[in-house]
Amino acid sequence: MHLFARAQNETLIVISNNKGAPEELKMTELRSIMMGERQRWKDGNKIKIALMKTSTQTGISTCKKVYDMDGNDVKKFWLAKVFQGKADAPVFFNSEAELKAFVSENEGAIGIVEIHIDNPDIRVVSIDGKKEF
Amino acid sequence: MKRKTIYILLIVACLLISLQSICQITNTSIKGFIDVRSMYDNNKVSFGLGEQDLFITSELNDRFSFLGETVFKFDSSSFTDFSVSIERIVIKYNIQGNHNLIIGKIHTPLNYWNDTYHHGRVFFPTIDRPLLFQAEIIPLHTIGAGLQGHDFGKLRFGYDFFVGNGIGAGPVSDNDKYKSVTAAVHIKPVDNMRIGLSYYNDVISKGADVEGKIINWKVNQQLASGSFAYFGKKVELLAESTFGINRTDTTGTKHTLASYVYGGYKIKDKFIPYFRVDNLAYQNGEIYFTKNNTTALVVGMRYEINFLAVVKLEYQYTHSELNGINNKVSAQFAIGF
Repeated sequence: MHLFARAQNETLIVISNNKGAPEELKMTELRSIMMGERQRWKDGNKIKIALMKTSTQTGISTCKKVYDMDGNDVKKFWLAKVFQGKADAPVFFNSEAELKAFVSENEGAIGIVEIHIDNPDIRVVSIDGKKEF
Repeated sequence: MKRKTIYILLIVACLLISLQSICQITNTSIKGFIDVRSMYDNNKVSFGLGEQDLFITSELNDRFSFLGETVFKFDSSSFTDFSVSIERIVIKYNIQGNHNLIIGKIHTPLNYWNDTYHHGRVFFPTIDRPLLFQAEIIPLHTIGAGLQGHDFGKLRFGYDFFVGNGIGAGPVSDNDKYKSVTAAVHIKPVDNMRIGLSYYNDVISKGADVEGKIINWKVNQQLASGSFAYFGKKVELLAESTFGINRTDTTGTKHTLASYVYGGYKIKDKFIPYFRVDNLAYQNGEIYFTKNNTTALVVGMRYEINFLAVVKLEYQYTHSELNGINNKVSAQFAIGF
């Protein structure tokens, strides 16, 4: 409960590999991407979604702010989507360091983190003109 | 001659490079579903196993992916009492954006249920499929090739167009020259809502074996389906209807209307009371479908322990032309793993 309350106030940052994602997205576009509705970037790169596990503070916050669901419903949503053959599942991580490494190594990757550390292979994607949301 | 050899070597090299790219398996996962159930019917209590469903997904490369679904289920004709059924083999090639080429065996995308839940009982809102499935009104599977697209524009338009062997065909070849055509469109105007329409056309040859039943007449079949699905945070509503037109030279054109409405309401975080009403209405003289006008009412409660474990308890009243009135109480524990 405490973790959930903290997660409500956490600010999130969208990061991406240098290849694929644009420098700015609208929140509706981010949501569409995170729901598996949009699967390729304009340059043709496949979108690879990287998320923190739904048991982590950032994961809980991502579920609430992006999906408007709790973690259980997000996992159900993705299991159903993959089972239907409609999309590839996101990759879930235990730590932000692992998530950032994945984003930096994979063209087209996009992820959501709490803290951004400068990395030449990663850039911050603004959401509705803001670096954090 | 030398130039020809160089061309051949170049083609072979290109093919090898493509094959290597395809075979670099980057991500393969195996998941499954199973259910166990208990039932009170005809003054006795029974315990039983449902299906064990294994599904494999694999990203072969940036464009190619594979999905396979295999079911192990009770089969009284099998020496071991169980048989294996390949339910889906889907090889998908992403052409561009959200447009995909599909080859293989699919669940015919004629209605929401068949295109969404497949054999994952943990996803089913009720214990069993609606009666239009049990009555074999719609062809559950199609083997062939087609195009699929999704989430275009503000209405999140999607489509399926599939050409297949059709009804009566075996898993490795067609039984006749006729091909089935499935065309389906849907929109998702708001979150959690999907509205769809579909059309199916096939010719079933005289002598075709359809689920063990030999068809004695050539049948021209058309199916038109409409569906509305909304699974919100509190309210769940799913209504589907299929209108079938079967034409034979001897009986002419006969109509069938098969429908169901499901409704549920989340009263607490994990509790969902629900109902489903089914109706099957056949025209007199129908000879392809087994004419059995039926009405059924299902009421039940679903308890979602989490996204991988669901318990359902339900009562079903069925009144059918051939079997009269039947009352049944069932419980199911469905899990994903």
